[in-house]
Amino acid sequence: MSRLLPLLVGLIVLALWETSVRLMQVPVFVLPPPSLIAEALMTDGPQLLDALLETLKLTVAAFAASFLGGLALAVLFVQSRLIERSLLPYAVVLQVTPIVAIAPLIVIWVGVDHVERAVFILATIVAFFPILSNASFGLRSVDPGLADLFRLYRATGWQRLWLLQLPSALPALLAGARISAGLALIGTVVAEFVAGSGEATGLAWRIVESANRLEIPRMFAALLLLSLTGLALNAVIVQIEHRLLRRWHSGHGEAA
Amino acid sequence: MRYPGGLAAIDRVDLRIEDGSFTSIVGPSGCGKSTLLRLIAGLASPSAGAITGRPDGAVGLVFQDATLMPWADVENNVYLPLRLARVSRAEAKPRIAEALALVGLSDFAQAYPRALSGGMRMRVAIARAIVTRPRLLLMDEPFAALDEITRNKLNDDLLRLWREQEITTIFVTHSVFESVYLSTDIAIMSPRPGRIMARHAVSGPAIRDADFRATQPYLDACRAVSRDLERAMAVAV
Repeated sequence: MSRLLPLLVGLIVLALWETSVRLMQVPVFVLPPPSLIAEALMTDGPQLLDALLETLKLTVAAFAASFLGGLALAVLFVQSRLIERSLLPYAVVLQVTPIVAIAPLIVIWVGVDHVERAVFILATIVAFFPILSNASFGLRSVDPGLADLFRLYRATGWQRLWLLQLPSALPALLAGARISAGLALIGTVVAEFVAGSGEATGLAWRIVESANRLEIPRMFAALLLLSLTGLALNAVIVQIEHRLLRRWHSGHGEAA
Repeated sequence: MRYPGGLAAIDRVDLRIEDGSFTSIVGPSGCGKSTLLRLIAGLASPSAGAITGRPDGAVGLVFQDATLMPWADVENNVYLPLRLARVSRAEAKPRIAEALALVGLSDFAQAYPRALSGGMRMRVAIARAIVTRPRLLLMDEPFAALDEITRNKLNDDLLRLWREQEITTIFVTHSVFESVYLSTDIAIMSPRPGRIMARHAVSGPAIRDADFRATQPYLDACRAVSRDLERAMAVAV
Protein backbone atom coordinates (compact mmCIF):
# COMPACT_ATOMS: atom_id res chain seq x y z
CA MET A 1 0.00 0.00 0.00
CA SER A 2 2.72 2.46 1.03
CA ARG A 3 4.47 1.71 -2.24
CA LEU A 4 1.39 2.77 -4.18
CA LEU A 5 0.97 6.07 -2.36
CA PRO A 6 3.59 8.04 -4.36
CA LEU A 7 2.02 6.70 -7.55
CA LEU A 8 -1.41 7.84 -6.38
CA VAL A 9 -0.09 11.31 -5.54
CA GLY A 10 1.50 11.47 -9.00
CA LEU A 11 -1.77 10.58 -10.73
CA ILE A 12 -3.71 13.18 -8.74
CA VAL A 13 -1.13 15.87 -9.56
CA LEU A 14 -1.25 14.92 -13.26
CA ALA A 15 -5.04 15.11 -13.29
CA LEU A 16 -5.05 18.51 -11.56
CA TRP A 17 -2.34 19.72 -13.92
CA GLU A 18 -4.24 18.58 -17.04
CA THR A 19 -7.59 20.09 -15.98
CA SER A 20 -6.26 23.39 -14.63
CA VAL A 21 -4.07 24.05 -17.70
CA ARG A 22 -7.08 23.41 -19.94
CA LEU A 23 -9.52 25.40 -17.81
CA MET A 24 -7.23 28.40 -17.46
CA GLN A 25 -6.12 28.13 -21.10
CA VAL A 26 -2.45 28.37 -20.24
CA PRO A 27 -0.44 28.70 -23.48
CA VAL A 28 1.36 25.48 -24.42
CA PHE A 29 4.76 27.24 -24.55
CA VAL A 30 4.38 28.19 -20.86
CA LEU A 31 3.08 24.95 -19.44
CA PRO A 32 1.88 22.12 -21.70
CA PRO A 33 -0.68 19.65 -20.31
CA PRO A 34 0.58 16.11 -19.55
CA SER A 35 -1.33 14.72 -22.51
CA LEU A 36 0.73 16.84 -24.93
CA ILE A 37 3.95 15.83 -23.18
CA ALA A 38 2.96 12.18 -23.57
CA GLU A 39 2.28 12.84 -27.24
CA ALA A 40 5.71 14.46 -27.66
CA LEU A 41 7.24 11.48 -25.90
CA MET A 42 5.61 9.18 -28.46
CA THR A 43 6.55 11.15 -31.57
CA ASP A 44 10.02 12.32 -30.54
CA GLY A 45 10.73 9.25 -28.37
CA PRO A 46 13.22 7.47 -30.64
CA GLN A 47 15.21 10.64 -31.25
CA LEU A 48 15.20 11.52 -27.55
CA LEU A 49 16.20 7.99 -26.58
CA ASP A 50 19.20 8.21 -28.93
CA ALA A 51 20.20 11.45 -27.22
CA LEU A 52 19.62 9.88 -23.82
CA LEU A 53 21.85 6.95 -24.72
CA GLU A 54 24.62 9.39 -25.61
CA THR A 55 24.23 11.21 -22.28
CA LEU A 56 24.07 7.93 -20.39
CA LYS A 57 27.25 6.64 -22.04
CA LEU A 58 29.14 9.75 -20.97
CA THR A 59 27.61 9.59 -17.48
CA VAL A 60 28.66 5.98 -16.94
CA ALA A 61 32.12 6.63 -18.36
CA ALA A 62 32.57 9.68 -16.12
CA PHE A 63 31.33 7.74 -13.10
CA ALA A 64 33.66 4.81 -13.80
CA ALA A 65 36.61 7.17 -14.28
CA SER A 66 35.92 9.07 -11.09
CA PHE A 67 35.34 5.86 -9.13
CA LEU A 68 38.62 4.27 -10.21
CA GLY A 69 40.56 7.54 -10.06
CA GLY A 70 39.13 8.58 -6.71
CA LEU A 71 39.75 5.17 -5.17
CA ALA A 72 43.28 4.97 -6.53
CA LEU A 73 44.11 8.44 -5.23
CA ALA A 74 42.58 7.62 -1.84
CA VAL A 75 44.71 4.47 -1.60
CA LEU A 76 47.74 6.59 -2.41
CA PHE A 77 46.75 9.13 0.25
CA VAL A 78 46.40 6.43 2.89
CA GLN A 79 49.85 5.06 2.12
CA SER A 80 51.50 8.39 2.71
CA ARG A 81 50.47 11.50 4.59
CA LEU A 82 53.11 13.36 2.59
CA ILE A 83 51.41 12.60 -0.73
CA GLU A 84 48.05 13.51 0.75
CA ARG A 85 49.31 16.84 2.06
CA SER A 86 50.88 17.69 -1.29
CA LEU A 87 47.93 16.73 -3.50
CA LEU A 88 44.78 17.24 -1.46
CA PRO A 89 44.70 21.06 -1.82
CA TYR A 90 44.59 20.69 -5.62
CA ALA A 91 41.77 18.19 -5.42
CA VAL A 92 39.90 20.67 -3.23
CA VAL A 93 40.54 23.48 -5.73
CA LEU A 94 38.99 21.33 -8.47
CA GLN A 95 36.08 20.57 -6.19
CA VAL A 96 35.27 24.15 -5.21
CA THR A 97 35.71 25.74 -8.64
CA PRO A 98 32.33 25.86 -10.38
CA ILE A 99 32.30 23.48 -13.30
CA VAL A 100 30.58 26.05 -15.50
CA ALA A 101 33.58 28.33 -15.05
CA ILE A 102 36.16 25.76 -16.17
CA ALA A 103 34.07 24.45 -19.03
CA PRO A 104 35.16 26.93 -21.73
CA LEU A 105 38.80 26.21 -20.96
CA ILE A 106 38.34 22.45 -21.18
CA VAL A 107 36.39 22.88 -24.41
CA ILE A 108 39.25 24.89 -25.91
CA TRP A 109 41.81 22.32 -24.80
CA VAL A 110 40.15 19.10 -25.86
CA GLY A 111 36.66 19.80 -27.08
CA VAL A 112 36.96 21.82 -30.25
CA ASP A 113 36.55 18.76 -32.43
CA HIS A 114 35.35 16.34 -29.76
CA VAL A 115 32.73 17.90 -27.52
CA GLU A 116 32.11 14.56 -25.85
CA ARG A 117 35.69 14.51 -24.54
CA ALA A 118 35.21 17.85 -22.87
CA VAL A 119 31.88 16.69 -21.41
CA PHE A 120 33.51 13.50 -20.13
CA ILE A 121 36.32 15.39 -18.40
CA LEU A 122 33.98 17.97 -16.86
CA ALA A 123 31.57 15.33 -15.55
CA THR A 124 34.48 13.34 -14.13
CA ILE A 125 35.75 16.40 -12.26
CA VAL A 126 32.29 16.89 -10.74
CA ALA A 127 31.81 13.24 -9.76
CA PHE A 128 35.34 12.65 -8.52
CA PHE A 129 35.41 14.27 -5.10
CA PRO A 130 32.79 12.25 -3.17
CA ILE A 131 34.65 9.07 -4.08
CA LEU A 132 38.00 10.52 -3.04
CA SER A 133 36.82 11.85 0.31
CA ASN A 134 34.62 8.88 1.21
CA ALA A 135 37.23 6.34 0.20
CA SER A 136 39.96 8.17 2.16
CA PHE A 137 37.71 8.27 5.20
CA GLY A 138 36.73 4.61 4.78
CA LEU A 139 40.27 3.36 4.30
CA ARG A 140 41.24 5.05 7.57
CA SER A 141 38.25 3.85 9.57
CA VAL A 142 39.85 0.50 10.33
CA ASP A 143 39.07 -1.20 13.64
CA PRO A 144 42.22 -0.55 15.74
CA GLY A 145 42.00 -4.06 17.22
CA LEU A 146 42.02 -5.61 13.74
CA ALA A 147 44.92 -3.35 12.78
CA ASP A 148 46.80 -4.71 15.81
CA LEU A 149 46.07 -8.27 14.71
CA PHE A 150 47.41 -7.57 11.23
CA ARG A 151 50.57 -6.19 12.81
CA LEU A 152 50.84 -9.14 15.18
CA TYR A 153 50.71 -11.56 12.26
CA ARG A 154 53.15 -9.41 10.29
CA ALA A 155 50.82 -8.66 7.40
CA THR A 156 52.40 -7.02 4.35
CA GLY A 157 51.19 -3.65 3.08
CA TRP A 158 49.25 -5.36 0.29
CA GLN A 159 47.58 -7.78 2.69
CA ARG A 160 46.61 -4.87 4.90
CA LEU A 161 45.17 -2.95 1.97
CA TRP A 162 43.40 -5.88 0.37
CA LEU A 163 42.14 -7.81 3.40
CA LEU A 164 41.59 -5.00 5.91
CA GLN A 165 41.46 -1.47 4.54
CA LEU A 166 39.41 -2.00 1.37
CA PRO A 167 36.73 -4.15 3.08
CA SER A 168 36.58 -1.65 5.95
CA ALA A 169 36.14 1.16 3.43
CA LEU A 170 33.34 -0.54 1.51
CA PRO A 171 30.32 1.08 3.25
CA ALA A 172 31.77 4.59 2.97
CA LEU A 173 32.94 3.92 -0.59
CA LEU A 174 29.48 2.81 -1.69
CA ALA A 175 27.85 5.81 -0.02
CA GLY A 176 30.29 7.96 -2.01
CA ALA A 177 29.47 6.03 -5.19
CA ARG A 178 25.80 6.85 -4.79
CA ILE A 179 26.49 10.57 -4.52
CA SER A 180 29.01 10.37 -7.31
CA ALA A 181 26.66 8.59 -9.74
CA GLY A 182 24.10 11.34 -9.30
CA LEU A 183 26.75 14.00 -9.75
CA ALA A 184 28.07 12.28 -12.89
CA LEU A 185 24.65 12.67 -14.50
CA ILE A 186 24.31 16.27 -13.34
CA GLY A 187 27.86 16.99 -14.48
CA THR A 188 27.26 15.47 -17.89
CA VAL A 189 24.07 17.46 -18.44
CA VAL A 190 25.58 20.74 -17.23
CA ALA A 191 28.68 20.16 -19.34
CA GLU A 192 26.52 19.45 -22.37
CA PHE A 193 24.68 22.70 -21.77
CA VAL A 194 27.89 24.68 -21.48
CA ALA A 195 30.04 22.89 -24.03
CA GLY A 196 27.30 21.94 -26.41
CA SER A 197 26.92 23.28 -29.87
CA GLY A 198 25.09 22.11 -32.97
CA GLU A 199 27.08 18.91 -33.05
CA ALA A 200 26.39 17.92 -29.46
CA THR A 201 24.18 14.86 -29.40
CA GLY A 202 23.29 14.51 -25.72
CA LEU A 203 19.90 14.99 -24.15
CA ALA A 204 20.82 18.38 -22.64
CA TRP A 205 21.31 19.78 -26.10
CA ARG A 206 17.88 18.46 -27.13
CA ILE A 207 16.49 20.46 -24.22
CA VAL A 208 18.26 23.64 -25.31
CA GLU A 209 17.11 23.05 -28.88
CA SER A 210 13.49 22.48 -27.79
CA ALA A 211 13.54 25.66 -25.71
CA ASN A 212 14.93 27.67 -28.61
CA ARG A 213 12.17 26.36 -30.88
CA LEU A 214 9.55 26.77 -28.17
CA GLU A 215 8.78 23.04 -28.41
CA ILE A 216 7.97 22.94 -24.74
CA PRO A 217 6.19 19.54 -24.66
CA ARG A 218 9.32 17.97 -26.19
CA MET A 219 11.43 19.73 -23.59
CA PHE A 220 9.27 18.30 -20.80
CA ALA A 221 9.55 14.85 -22.36
CA ALA A 222 13.35 15.15 -22.32
CA LEU A 223 13.25 16.32 -18.70
CA LEU A 224 11.14 13.33 -17.78
CA LEU A 225 13.64 10.98 -19.37
CA LEU A 226 16.48 12.63 -17.43
CA SER A 227 14.67 12.22 -14.12
CA LEU A 228 13.94 8.57 -14.83
CA THR A 229 17.60 8.04 -15.72
CA GLY A 230 18.71 9.58 -12.42
CA LEU A 231 16.29 7.36 -10.53
CA ALA A 232 17.49 4.27 -12.39
CA LEU A 233 21.14 5.06 -11.68
CA ASN A 234 20.37 5.51 -8.01
CA ALA A 235 18.43 2.24 -7.90
CA VAL A 236 21.32 0.33 -9.47
CA ILE A 237 23.81 1.60 -6.88
CA VAL A 238 21.40 0.92 -4.01
CA GLN A 239 20.98 -2.64 -5.30
CA ILE A 240 24.75 -3.16 -5.42
CA GLU A 241 25.11 -1.65 -1.96
CA HIS A 242 22.43 -3.95 -0.62
CA ARG A 243 23.99 -7.04 -2.11
CA LEU A 244 27.49 -6.27 -0.90
CA LEU A 245 26.64 -5.14 2.60
CA ARG A 246 23.61 -7.09 3.75
CA ARG A 247 25.70 -9.89 5.22
CA TRP A 248 27.75 -7.75 7.53
CA HIS A 249 25.97 -4.51 8.25
CA SER A 250 22.45 -4.91 9.51
CA GLY A 251 21.92 -1.16 9.27
CA HIS A 252 23.30 -0.77 5.77
CA GLY A 253 21.68 -1.28 2.44
CA GLU A 254 18.25 -1.33 4.02
CA ALA A 255 17.95 2.41 4.31
CA ALA A 256 17.43 3.63 0.79
CA MET B 1 57.25 2.03 28.62
CA ARG B 2 56.32 5.69 28.67
CA TYR B 3 53.51 7.85 27.38
CA PRO B 4 54.54 10.61 25.03
CA GLY B 5 55.59 13.39 27.37
CA GLY B 6 57.55 11.09 29.61
CA LEU B 7 54.92 9.73 31.98
CA ALA B 8 55.84 6.12 32.69
CA ALA B 9 52.97 3.75 31.97
CA ILE B 10 54.74 0.84 33.55
CA ASP B 11 58.05 0.87 35.34
CA ARG B 12 60.44 -1.75 36.70
CA VAL B 13 58.14 -4.61 35.89
CA ASP B 14 59.93 -7.89 36.40
CA LEU B 15 57.64 -10.73 35.46
CA ARG B 16 58.75 -14.29 34.84
CA ILE B 17 56.24 -16.56 33.19
CA GLU B 18 56.69 -20.29 33.67
CA ASP B 19 56.32 -22.44 30.60
CA GLY B 20 52.90 -24.10 30.65
CA SER B 21 51.54 -21.87 33.37
CA PHE B 22 48.26 -19.97 33.41
CA THR B 23 49.22 -16.55 34.72
CA SER B 24 46.66 -13.86 35.47
CA ILE B 25 47.60 -10.21 35.73
CA VAL B 26 45.18 -8.48 38.08
CA GLY B 27 45.03 -4.79 38.82
CA PRO B 28 42.82 -1.70 38.92
CA SER B 29 42.06 0.02 35.63
CA GLY B 30 44.86 2.21 34.41
CA CYS B 31 47.62 0.19 36.04
CA GLY B 32 49.21 -0.75 32.73
CA LYS B 33 47.98 -4.34 32.42
CA SER B 34 47.11 -3.93 28.76
CA THR B 35 50.32 -2.07 28.06
CA LEU B 36 52.26 -4.95 29.55
CA LEU B 37 50.36 -7.40 27.36
CA ARG B 38 51.07 -5.32 24.24
CA LEU B 39 54.75 -5.33 25.15
CA ILE B 40 54.73 -9.10 25.52
CA ALA B 41 52.88 -9.45 22.20
CA GLY B 42 55.48 -7.26 20.49
CA LEU B 43 52.87 -4.66 19.48
CA ALA B 44 54.81 -2.00 21.42
CA SER B 45 58.48 -1.75 22.30
CA PRO B 46 59.71 -0.88 25.78
CA SER B 47 61.55 2.41 26.18
CA ALA B 48 63.87 0.52 28.52
CA GLY B 49 64.29 -3.14 29.35
CA ALA B 50 63.49 -6.22 27.32
CA ILE B 51 61.11 -9.08 26.79
CA THR B 52 63.07 -12.31 26.53
CA GLY B 53 62.25 -15.91 25.83
CA ARG B 54 59.18 -15.22 23.72
CA PRO B 55 58.39 -18.46 21.92
CA ASP B 56 59.07 -18.78 18.20
CA GLY B 57 56.21 -18.22 15.83
CA ALA B 58 53.06 -16.25 16.31
CA VAL B 59 51.53 -15.72 19.70
CA GLY B 60 47.76 -15.83 20.08
CA LEU B 61 46.03 -12.61 21.08
CA VAL B 62 42.46 -12.08 22.27
CA PHE B 63 41.03 -8.66 23.15
CA GLN B 64 38.11 -7.62 25.32
CA ASP B 65 36.19 -7.10 22.11
CA ALA B 66 36.04 -10.06 19.72
CA THR B 67 37.32 -7.79 16.89
CA LEU B 68 36.10 -10.00 14.08
CA MET B 69 35.94 -8.90 10.47
CA PRO B 70 32.21 -8.25 9.97
CA TRP B 71 32.48 -8.84 6.21
CA ALA B 72 33.84 -12.38 6.60
CA ASP B 73 32.14 -15.52 7.88
CA VAL B 74 33.43 -17.46 10.88
CA GLU B 75 35.64 -19.72 8.80
CA ASN B 76 37.33 -16.82 7.04
CA ASN B 77 37.81 -14.97 10.32
CA VAL B 78 39.59 -17.98 11.78
CA TYR B 79 41.54 -18.43 8.54
CA LEU B 80 42.99 -14.90 8.80
CA PRO B 81 46.23 -15.63 10.73
CA LEU B 82 47.04 -18.54 8.42
CA ARG B 83 46.13 -16.52 5.35
CA LEU B 84 48.47 -13.74 6.43
CA ALA B 85 51.17 -16.40 6.81
CA ARG B 86 50.40 -17.49 3.23
CA VAL B 87 49.03 -20.90 4.17
CA SER B 88 46.82 -22.15 1.33
CA ARG B 89 43.13 -22.56 2.01
CA ALA B 90 43.29 -26.30 1.33
CA GLU B 91 46.07 -26.70 3.84
CA ALA B 92 44.31 -24.47 6.35
CA LYS B 93 40.91 -26.21 6.15
CA PRO B 94 41.60 -29.03 8.63
CA ARG B 95 43.31 -26.66 11.05
CA ILE B 96 40.37 -24.24 10.95
CA ALA B 97 37.98 -27.15 11.53
CA GLU B 98 40.10 -28.30 14.47
CA ALA B 99 40.20 -24.82 16.05
CA LEU B 100 36.43 -24.43 15.61
CA ALA B 101 35.85 -27.86 17.17
CA LEU B 102 37.99 -26.87 20.17
CA VAL B 103 35.75 -23.89 20.89
CA GLY B 104 32.56 -25.78 20.10
CA LEU B 105 31.64 -23.87 16.93
CA SER B 106 31.93 -26.59 14.28
CA ASP B 107 28.39 -25.95 13.09
CA PHE B 108 28.88 -22.21 12.64
CA ALA B 109 31.69 -22.03 10.08
CA GLN B 110 29.49 -20.28 7.52
CA ALA B 111 27.80 -17.86 9.95
CA TYR B 112 28.52 -14.15 9.87
CA PRO B 113 29.59 -12.38 13.09
CA ARG B 114 26.48 -10.23 13.34
CA ALA B 115 24.37 -13.39 13.58
CA LEU B 116 26.32 -14.63 16.62
CA SER B 117 25.91 -13.87 20.33
CA GLY B 118 28.65 -12.08 22.28
CA GLY B 119 29.86 -15.35 23.79
CA MET B 120 30.02 -17.07 20.41
CA ARG B 121 31.92 -14.17 18.89
CA MET B 122 34.45 -14.50 21.69
CA ARG B 123 34.76 -18.20 20.88
CA VAL B 124 35.52 -17.30 17.27
CA ALA B 125 38.21 -14.88 18.49
CA ILE B 126 39.73 -17.67 20.60
CA ALA B 127 39.61 -20.10 17.68
CA ARG B 128 41.39 -17.49 15.55
CA ALA B 129 44.04 -17.06 18.27
CA ILE B 130 44.79 -20.78 18.54
CA VAL B 131 44.58 -21.72 14.86
CA THR B 132 48.30 -21.03 14.44
CA ARG B 133 48.96 -23.44 17.35
CA PRO B 134 50.76 -20.78 19.36
CA ARG B 135 52.74 -21.74 22.46
CA LEU B 136 51.74 -18.49 24.12
CA LEU B 137 48.21 -17.15 24.37
CA LEU B 138 47.64 -13.55 25.50
CA MET B 139 44.18 -12.50 26.60
CA ASP B 140 43.22 -8.94 27.49
CA GLU B 141 40.05 -9.02 29.64
CA PRO B 142 38.40 -11.29 27.07
CA PHE B 143 35.24 -12.02 29.04
CA ALA B 144 34.72 -8.65 30.75
CA ALA B 145 31.80 -7.70 28.51
CA LEU B 146 29.93 -11.01 28.86
CA ASP B 147 27.21 -12.00 31.29
CA GLU B 148 28.19 -14.21 34.22
CA ILE B 149 26.69 -17.47 32.93
CA THR B 150 28.42 -17.15 29.57
CA ARG B 151 31.57 -16.08 31.31
CA ASN B 152 31.66 -19.12 33.61
CA LYS B 153 31.09 -21.43 30.68
CA LEU B 154 33.89 -19.81 28.71
CA ASN B 155 36.17 -19.98 31.76
CA ASP B 156 35.69 -23.76 31.91
CA ASP B 157 36.22 -24.11 28.17
CA LEU B 158 39.35 -22.01 28.34
CA LEU B 159 40.76 -24.16 31.15
CA ARG B 160 40.12 -27.30 29.13
CA LEU B 161 41.81 -25.72 26.11
CA TRP B 162 44.81 -24.67 28.20
CA ARG B 163 45.14 -28.15 29.74
CA GLU B 164 44.70 -30.10 26.50
CA GLN B 165 46.69 -27.86 24.20
CA GLU B 166 49.36 -26.99 26.78
CA ILE B 167 49.36 -23.33 25.78
CA THR B 168 51.12 -21.02 28.22
CA THR B 169 48.48 -18.39 28.90
CA ILE B 170 48.71 -14.83 30.19
CA PHE B 171 45.30 -13.52 31.14
CA VAL B 172 44.58 -9.91 32.05
CA THR B 173 41.52 -9.33 34.21
CA HIS B 174 40.23 -7.10 36.97
CA SER B 175 38.17 -9.87 38.50
CA VAL B 176 39.78 -11.50 41.54
CA PHE B 177 37.47 -14.52 41.36
CA GLU B 178 38.06 -15.14 37.69
CA SER B 179 41.82 -14.94 38.14
CA VAL B 180 41.85 -17.39 41.06
CA TYR B 181 39.55 -19.82 39.32
CA LEU B 182 41.66 -19.92 36.17
CA SER B 183 45.26 -19.43 37.22
CA THR B 184 48.21 -21.35 38.45
CA ASP B 185 49.92 -18.03 39.04
CA ILE B 186 48.66 -14.51 39.76
CA ALA B 187 50.53 -11.22 39.45
CA ILE B 188 48.97 -8.14 41.07
CA MET B 189 49.78 -4.77 39.52
CA SER B 190 49.56 -1.35 41.13
CA PRO B 191 49.18 1.80 39.07
CA ARG B 192 51.13 5.01 38.42
CA PRO B 193 53.54 3.81 37.40
CA GLY B 194 52.36 0.26 36.81
CA ARG B 195 54.43 -2.32 38.59
CA ILE B 196 54.08 -5.85 39.91
CA MET B 197 53.16 -5.58 43.60
CA ALA B 198 52.73 -9.19 44.57
CA ARG B 199 52.55 -12.68 43.17
CA HIS B 200 50.52 -15.65 44.30
CA ALA B 201 50.58 -19.28 43.31
CA VAL B 202 47.18 -20.94 43.32
CA SER B 203 47.17 -24.56 44.34
CA GLY B 204 44.19 -26.50 43.18
CA PRO B 205 43.08 -29.73 41.56
CA ALA B 206 44.43 -30.54 38.14
CA ILE B 207 40.96 -30.40 36.68
CA ARG B 208 38.95 -27.53 38.09
CA ASP B 209 35.20 -27.20 37.90
CA ALA B 210 32.48 -25.24 39.66
CA ASP B 211 33.10 -27.24 42.86
CA PHE B 212 36.55 -25.69 43.08
CA ARG B 213 34.87 -22.42 43.98
CA ALA B 214 33.74 -23.93 47.29
CA THR B 215 37.15 -25.26 48.36
CA GLN B 216 39.44 -23.77 50.99
CA PRO B 217 42.43 -23.16 48.64
CA TYR B 218 40.14 -21.16 46.33
CA LEU B 219 38.73 -19.05 49.16
CA ASP B 220 42.17 -18.50 50.72
CA ALA B 221 43.59 -17.39 47.39
CA CYS B 222 40.66 -15.03 46.76
CA ARG B 223 41.18 -13.47 50.18
CA ALA B 224 44.93 -13.05 49.67
CA VAL B 225 44.58 -11.60 46.18
CA SER B 226 41.81 -9.22 47.31
CA ARG B 227 43.96 -7.95 50.17
CA ASP B 228 46.88 -7.25 47.86
CA LEU B 229 44.60 -5.63 45.31
CA GLU B 230 43.31 -3.29 48.03
CA ARG B 231 46.88 -2.31 48.86
CA ALA B 232 47.42 -1.70 45.15
CA MET B 233 44.41 0.61 45.07
CA ALA B 234 45.72 2.46 48.14
CA VAL B 235 48.87 3.22 46.20
CA ALA B 236 46.70 4.67 43.46
CA VAL B 237 44.98 7.27 45.64
